[in-house]
Amino acid sequence: MTFQTEGARINHTPVIRRFTLPGLLLLFFLSLLLLPLFLSPLWIRIATEVLMWAGLAQSWNVIGGYTGYLSFGHGAFFGVGAYATGILMVHLGWPFGIGLFFSGVLSAFLALLIGYPTLRLRGAYFAIATWAFGELLRQVATILDITGGAYGLQLPAFLNLPFFYYIMLGVTGLTYLTIYLLLERARFGYRLLAIREHEEAAEMVGVDTVSIKIQAFALSAFFPGIIGGINAYWVTYIHPDSVLRADITDFMVVMAFLGGIGSLWGPFLGAVVVQLVQRVLWLVWGEGTFYLVIIGAAICSVVLFIPNGLIGVLEGQIFKPKEAIKELKKKVKW
Amino acid sequence: MILLESLNLVKSFGGVAAIDRLSLTVEKGMILGIIGPNGSGKTTFFNLVTGIFTPDSGKVLFHGKDVTGFRPHRIAKLGIGRTFQVPAPFSKMTVLENVMVSTFIHARTMKMAKEQAKKILGLVRLEEKADQQVLNVTLEDRKRLELARALGTQPSLLLLDEVMAGLTPAEVKASIELIRSLRTKDLTIIVVEHIMDVILSLCDRLAVLDYGSKIAEDIPDRVVNNPEVIKAYLGEHYRARN
Repeated sequence: MTFQTEGARINHTPVIRRFTLPGLLLLFFLSLLLLPLFLSPLWIRIATEVLMWAGLAQSWNVIGGYTGYLSFGHGAFFGVGAYATGILMVHLGWPFGIGLFFSGVLSAFLALLIGYPTLRLRGAYFAIATWAFGELLRQVATILDITGGAYGLQLPAFLNLPFFYYIMLGVTGLTYLTIYLLLERARFGYRLLAIREHEEAAEMVGVDTVSIKIQAFALSAFFPGIIGGINAYWVTYIHPDSVLRADITDFMVVMAFLGGIGSLWGPFLGAVVVQLVQRVLWLVWGEGTFYLVIIGAAICSVVLFIPNGLIGVLEGQIFKPKEAIKELKKKVKW
Repeated sequence: MILLESLNLVKSFGGVAAIDRLSLTVEKGMILGIIGPNGSGKTTFFNLVTGIFTPDSGKVLFHGKDVTGFRPHRIAKLGIGRTFQVPAPFSKMTVLENVMVSTFIHARTMKMAKEQAKKILGLVRLEEKADQQVLNVTLEDRKRLELARALGTQPSLLLLDEVMAGLTPAEVKASIELIRSLRTKDLTIIVVEHIMDVILSLCDRLAVLDYGSKIAEDIPDRVVNNPEVIKAYLGEHYRARN
C-alpha cells in the first residue's frame, strides 16, 4: 500500500501559466490591498481567515501535493508558531516581528528533525510520524508551565483588524510567491514532481531524493509557523485546544484536495470556498458543526469524481460521473 | 582499460541468492551483452551497480574506485546511467521536462538544462514530442524517453535493461541503429536483452548468467555455441535452427 497522493491526471500547465501572468497577479494583489476599504469589520475578519487558510493549505500542498508525502500533523507547525510567538512576546518581551520570524525558523527546524529519519523510508512511516508529532505537541503544551498548560497563554492585546488583514496578506502573498518561484519556476519544483511521480527513477538521474524531500518538508513547515504566530497575536489568547487542535491539519488537507493538489492556485481556491461556506453557514445557523458534514460530503465527491480538484474543473476538465465511476471500479476491487 | 568491475558480488533475498559470487569486468568503449533466463539476476546486477540495492558482500569498482553501497544519485553523478525494464517516466510531466530533471545534474541554469535536454531528444528522435504529456505517448516513445533520460546525466557507462522488449520488429531495428549511433569511445554500454538478434548485432562481448552466476563470457558467436549456455538458456531448438 502506498501513501502517494494521486495528483492531477491531466496537465494543467497552460491555464496555470495564463493565471500566473505577472500583470494579472499584480491586479489581483492590488484588489486584495484595497479590499478592507469596502468591507465591514466582520467581513475583514472573514477575509483575514480566508487568507490565513490559503497560506496554510498551500504550505501543506508543498509536501502533500507537489512531493506526494502526506503530512497528517501539519497543524502542529501552526501551533508551534503560535506558542513560540506567544512565549517570546510574553516571557521574553521580544517584538512581534522578530518573534514571527523565529517561529517560522523553529517550525522549519522541527520539520528537519522529523523529516530526517522518516523521509528516508517510503510508505506510511512519514504520515504516522507527522500525526504522532501533532498529538505529542498538544500533550506537551498541556503540561508545560511556560505554555500556560491547559489554561493557555494570554498575549498582549492589539485590537487592530486591518493590521492583521495586511500582515496576513503579506505573509500569504510571500508564501505563494516563494512557492511559485521555487516550485513552478526552478529545478527544485521539477525535482519534487519527479520524486512524486517515480522516486527511484528520480534518484537514478541524480536527484538526492532524501535531501530534497527534507528541504520541501522544512519549507512547508516554515510558513505555517509564521502564520500561527500572527494568529496568536490576533486572537490574543491561545490554548492547546485552539492552536493545536487536530482539525487544523484536517482543514489544510481538505482545502488543498478540494481546490486541487500539486497546483499553485488549487489550495487558494479550496481555502476560499471552504472558509466562506463555513462562515456563511455559521452566520445562517449559528455555532455548530453541521458544516463539517457538508464539507465532508464535498471532499468525498471531489476525491472520487474530480481528482484534480476545483482548479481542474475551472480549467475545462468536464465532470463525467459515469466515466469517473468506471475509473473507480478499475482501481477498487469490489 | 577497465571501466567497471564487480568482484564476487552476492545478493540474497530471503535466503535465495539472486546474485551469487558474480565477477564481471567491462572494458571502456565496449558494448557488453548480458543474457540469461528470467530470474537469473540480470536486473539485480544493474540494481547492485547503480546502488538501488546494497550487496551482501563483494565490491563494485567504477573507474577503479570502490562505489559499493553508494546511493543512486551519487552513482549517477559519477557517470552511470540506466534505463528501467518497465519504463518509469515522470508521468504528469512533459517529455522535455522528464529529460530536464536529468540534465539538471550538470547544467548550471534552467536554460542550459532545457537546451541540453532538447539536444538529447533530437538524438533519440523525440524532439517533436518534446511538449507532449508522457501519458499521451506510445510505448516505443516511452522506451526512447527512458534512453533520453539516462543520457541526460551524460553517463560514461549506460545500462540498458530490455529497452526493446515489447517493440515491433521494425521498431527494434530502429532502436538497434539508435544504440549503435550512441556508441563512442567515451560511452560504454551494457545491454540486457532477450532478443538474440539484438544481442548478436550489437555486442562485442556476451556474458551469460544463470542462477546469479556467470556461466560463460566470450565473443557472441562462441557463446551461442557453448553447450552449457544452450542447455541453460537458448535451448536445443536454437542450436537446431542455426
